[in-house]
Order: sequence, then structure tokens, then C-alpha cells
Amino acid sequence: MAIHHTELETPPGREPLPESERPKLETLRERLQPLKELPGSSIEALYAAQELFSYVPPEAMTLIAEELKIPESQVFGVVTFYTMFSLEPQAPNVLRVCRDLSCHLAGAPKLIGALEDALGVRHGHTSPDGQFTLKVVSCLGLCDMQPALLVNLDQHGPVMPDDVPDLLDGIRNGAG
Amino acid sequence: MELVVTRNFGRPESWTLASYREAGGYEALERVLKEMTPEEVTDLIKASDLTGRGGAFFPTGLKWEFVRKDPKTPRYVVVNADESEPGTYVNRLSLELDPHMTIEGMIIAAYASNAERGYFYIRGEYGLSHERVKAAMREAYEAGYLGQGICGRDDFNLEVEFRRGAGAYIVGEETALFNSLEGKRGNPRFKPPFPTNFGVWGLPTAINNVETLAAAPAIVMNGAEWFKDLGIGDAAGTKMYCLSGNVVNPVCVELPLGVSAREVIMEHGGGVPEGRTLKGFKPGGASSAPLTPAELDAALEPKSMADLGTIMGTGGVVVFDDTTCMVDVAYRDALFFEDESCGFCIPCREGTPNLVQICERILHGQGTMDDLDLLEELGASMMASFCGLGHFAHQPVRGAVSRFRDEFEAYIHGRR
Repeated sequence: MAIHHTELETPPGREPLPESERPKLETLRERLQPLKELPGSSIEALYAAQELFSYVPPEAMTLIAEELKIPESQVFGVVTFYTMFSLEPQAPNVLRVCRDLSCHLAGAPKLIGALEDALGVRHGHTSPDGQFTLKVVSCLGLCDMQPALLVNLDQHGPVMPDDVPDLLDGIRNGAG
Repeated sequence: MELVVTRNFGRPESWTLASYREAGGYEALERVLKEMTPEEVTDLIKASDLTGRGGAFFPTGLKWEFVRKDPKTPRYVVVNADESEPGTYVNRLSLELDPHMTIEGMIIAAYASNAERGYFYIRGEYGLSHERVKAAMREAYEAGYLGQGICGRDDFNLEVEFRRGAGAYIVGEETALFNSLEGKRGNPRFKPPFPTNFGVWGLPTAINNVETLAAAPAIVMNGAEWFKDLGIGDAAGTKMYCLSGNVVNPVCVELPLGVSAREVIMEHGGGVPEGRTLKGFKPGGASSAPLTPAELDAALEPKSMADLGTIMGTGGVVVFDDTTCMVDVAYRDALFFEDESCGFCIPCREGTPNLVQICERILHGQGTMDDLDLLEELGASMMASFCGLGHFAHQPVRGAVSRFRDEFEAYIHGRR
């Protein structure tokens, strides 16, 4: 949750939602209806938006604020507080690799390097084929599988650098 | 030894209601509702010396009693399953393998604290736990353990809502979790007032860790003395200890509270990999200061850990062998807390990056002996932080300096 200055320099709203994506806002509106009955459900609302768009576009934040009757500033505050929400489009497969103590000792730095090499991007970015977003994150509570990672919410571990090609092929072939 | 909270882990489909019932599940709830008053339940839990397994070790029965005695309604019970302490995965296993035990404990807690609403809050990354707990809650509603008129008692209702987080260590702090439940940023709130009087939505709230709640049904069935006697010495009950780091078997074991670190690491973890020697260990997650092999016989329980200047924490034991650099370990911890500081108060927001910078300086051979004193000073000023994160963030770094000073000095004097 450290403040990332790149995010501050490119505030959301600068990149409007592409025209082709706009019909999904209606779907989002429908999915928000049951949440109106549940006070405090802004996190669930944001998950609904991210599921539809792969990220939380500014238009979705405005819609959530309107539907749930909370200030847009609060919605923006929540999006930027929780690390699982993204303000930028993400690939269908988000890889979250644990960098904390146990996984670090078990070889996480090498695993992260192997993933970066195989995907051709630095962590924090999406691979050129658009299939994978690579993130390095805080402890995932998978220390019995050290070094561990999540593919979306599926647990994998221990994953050694040599396992990376098979892991990525498996995901590409839908075995996730 | 008799197992309490992990006893069903090996059963086939242990996460289903059918399996849980076969193992005697929900009998404790039925006994409570048939035979006991809420006062009797809190008296029983108080007598058992059950304390909060999330790391604070606050007496559980007392907490429930405080909630019950607050006249404001509706009262709430909240399951805190925002387990995010590095090196800790005990709650995840309970949620995946035996969600009903925690749900039964939650219902007993609600009865004892006269609460009628609840939240089951799980961190966002625990996908399998979400599925298992949601399915278990559906089963519990269908079986009449949740909802209106529980087990035929017209006067006892409990409506529970499932919630998930979205990636934030600090939300494990109970008041931050309330803010998260209310759809806000997970900044902590000022205490007092405490959650038992001013919890979620400003109402009296019994918020408990998964492992704490899971212990309640067994205490009802077997009695307070039975539970108390499971611990070693003055420590009561059992604790799930989980191993990770440079250890042969990174496993989770339920053992008497107060077991020695030697037994956990050597017997259950199989020690360090062959050809290496043990350099040190952390008793309870990133927040705990590391200890040395000379302290292997210390009891892993809150009091003896406090006497050694560290904390019992979550039971997440992280093991270090001779290939591990303790300055790097301190640096890792500092990076974690820098990233997870919520940025709300200045001592923590500014202090955590300072810890990182000092560690980096030393690792890069640019540190001085003054930096080691500076760490002490910085730690003292971080005690002015708003919540526990800032109070603990510097402890692992300072602890590493005090126990492994020669490694820091080796960098400073250019011997590395």
C-alpha cells in the first residue's frame, strides 16, 4: 500500500473506457442491485467491476458510487487501498508471486526471475501476448508450499524455476 | 496428544456438513442451546483459559461477556480470517479442511454474547477458503444452525454474511477490519472504545480469530479443565504451529501451547536441510523478533516469549539455517512493513521506509555503527504509531541486530 508515484501521475479518468466495453456498465448495474441491500459492500461491488472489465475503470467507480449511494471519493479510496484491485487493464491470468520471508528463503527471487524471463516482462506488467499479468505480492499464506504463487485464485507450490514452462503451458491450455 | 482444532483434518471430505456431523459436529451447539445459559457459556470459556489465537491472547470468555453486557443492539460476532502474517497459514488450513468447526464456534460465541448478526471475513487471496466457507454456511442455514430460530429455539437467531477482503495486511487489525466491513479503507480506528462496545457499525462486537472459535465446541463437550490441561505449565489448550523457511518439512502441527521450539522445529519440522546448521528462528511470523539456537528450549507461549523480548505471535515458526543472512532477513521484514503500512499515521508511514533505508545502507556496505543506534532511536519513535503495525514493525529489525549483531557489524566493517 505504499504510494506508487506512477499512479499519482496518471490519475484514473485519463483513459476513458473504450466504446466497445461500455455495454458492460449495464451488466455491472444489474449486478450491483443485490448489493444495495448489504451496507458496506463496496469491496464486493469492486470485485464485480473487476470481473467484468479485468480492472476498475473510472466509469465503474462512478456507477458504484451512484448505485450504492456512497461518495465517489470513498470508492476511489477503497480501490487504491486494497492491492487486489487494479486501475489498469489486466490479462486473463494474473500471477501473484509471494516475495515474503518464507518464500524468499525457499527461492522466490529465482522464481520471479524465471517468470520474468519466460513472459518477457518485468513484474508489475502484462506479457506481450496479453495472457499474463505478473505481480509480486505480500505473503499469500501458502508457506507450506514455499515458494508459492496464485494463478488468479488457484494455489500453486512449491514452484521451482524449472517448473515455470510447464506451469505457463498448463495455464495457456486451460488447465490453470 | 489429543487434538482439538485439527482433529478432523484427515477425514474424507472433512469440509462437508455430513462429515463434520459424523465426527460429532454441532453436538456442542445443541448442548449449549438445550442445557446452558449464555452466562454459563462465558463462565465455561473463562474457566478454560481460552485466549485469542490470532496473537493477542486476550481472554475469549471475557470478551464475549463484555459484548453481552453492553445494552446496545444488535450485537455482532465477527470471524477474523484475514490471516496475512508472513509465515502463517494455520487459519487457511482450518477454513479449507474444517469450516464447520469455526462456524459452530461462531454460533456458540453469538449465543454467549447475545449477538444476532455476524460477518465471516476472509482475506481476498484465500480462494479455496471462500468456496468452502460459503458452501458450509449454506449447509448450516439449510440445517437450521444459522438463521431464525436456531435448533428450535425461537429466542435465538443469527444472520451471518460472508465477506472477503481484497489484499491488505492491516485489515487483520480488528478495528481496521470493521472499517473494511463498512466498505471503507482499512485504516485502524482509535481505541478505546474497544470493539466489545464499539465494533462494526459502532455496535458491540465479539471479533475472534478462526482458531479461537474452532476451539469452543470441544471445550463445551469436554469441559474447561480438559482444555486447560492440554497446555504445558500455565499455558492452556493447544495451538496450531506452522513451519516454513529453511526447514525440511514445512508443515502445520497442533501441539500443546507452551511446547518448546526445539520440539516444533526438530521433531515436527525435521530440522534444517542436511549438511546445514540451525542459525535461528522466528517464533511467530514476521512481527516477531528472531531467536538463536541457544533459545530452542524456550516455551512457545506468550509469557516466555515476552521474557525473551519477542512475541508468541501467530505460531508461524520461520527457520533460518547457516546459508541465510540475517541482515537480509531484517531487510525482508522491513520491506514487508513498508509495503503494508496503511499510511494513516506519521510514525509508521515515515518509520517503515526509514527501516528499509537503514537496512539497505548496511547491506550495500555504506552503513556505520551509528546506524545501529539510529535503529534503536527510530524504534522508540515508532512506538508513537497509531496501531500495532507500527509498534511491531521495527521489532524484527532491532531484534535481529541484538541477537545477530556480528552479521550487521561484518557488513559495516566491510568484512562481507
